[in-house]
Amino acid sequence: MITILKNKKDIPQGKKYIELNDIFFNQNTAGKLDDRAAQFIEKIDNSKLLSKYKIRSRFDDITLNIDQLSTGCKTVLNVFYYPDKVFCLKECGNNALEVLYGFEKGFVYSEYAMIPFEMDPVEVQTLGGKKVIDDYEELKEWWENED
Amino acid sequence: MKIRPVVMKHFATVHTSFVVDFIFTNNITILMGDSGSGKTAAFSFIRECMAMNSKILCLDYFDYQKSIKEILSQANEKLIVIDNADILLNDDIRKYISQDDKNQYLIIGRNPKNLFATKENLFELVSEKVGEQTVFRIEPYI
Repeated sequence: MITILKNKKDIPQGKKYIELNDIFFNQNTAGKLDDRAAQFIEKIDNSKLLSKYKIRSRFDDITLNIDQLSTGCKTVLNVFYYPDKVFCLKECGNNALEVLYGFEKGFVYSEYAMIPFEMDPVEVQTLGGKKVIDDYEELKEWWENED
Repeated sequence: MKIRPVVMKHFATVHTSFVVDFIFTNNITILMGDSGSGKTAAFSFIRECMAMNSKILCLDYFDYQKSIKEILSQANEKLIVIDNADILLNDDIRKYISQDDKNQYLIIGRNPKNLFATKENLFELVSEKVGEQTVFRIEPYI
């Protein structure tokens, strides 16, 4: 399951935090895409991965460079291909969050709640420790409480 | 915060097969919704209009290193369109925007914090195929 951080000071030492998901994707993740990316691109952006750097857009069926994916989709792909880094969660829509919450590993950060309507269990981490949360209301409360 | 739009009630532009046709009912319009709905595409079509229309000012993650508050404070009678707002706008800038009565805002982001927004400010992008064109409009966010 993914690990969620809500304070920047909780980011483990040695882990790099990425706020600008678009740029990180364009410069790093795009070059690592393989067949596994297609399902996420289809589910989130309703687009088809044609080749490593090309997608068929949901709009007009036109072929676009992979850099035209949504920021939410790029964030999901960043987490998937770089599970050792911490990525900003704030630009994910509900559809991207649903996919992200289903991942087996990865780290994300937001200082306010970003929870999909239908959520899978996640691990939350503060300096005080870690715990698993599988309930929407409990996760929301964790996010909103000071600790 | 001004309730009614102070710069324009309607904005429309065409970019090849895409049409942007937005009707504004508030001075701050927050455009939310799922990833991949076309928000950033619509933003890029509006940004193109900056070359012709002096009332448009667009900001996005390319402006990450700039002082956004300074840019906003120097603007007058503009429709200020901000993509990637959830990473560009801190609490201080959000409060400034909420009190700015010289400019109008279209904010593309999901966090309405400190903008003193109500549900009247929240919209989502909808797209519709009309012949060979794709038309983008905004509708109240449910």
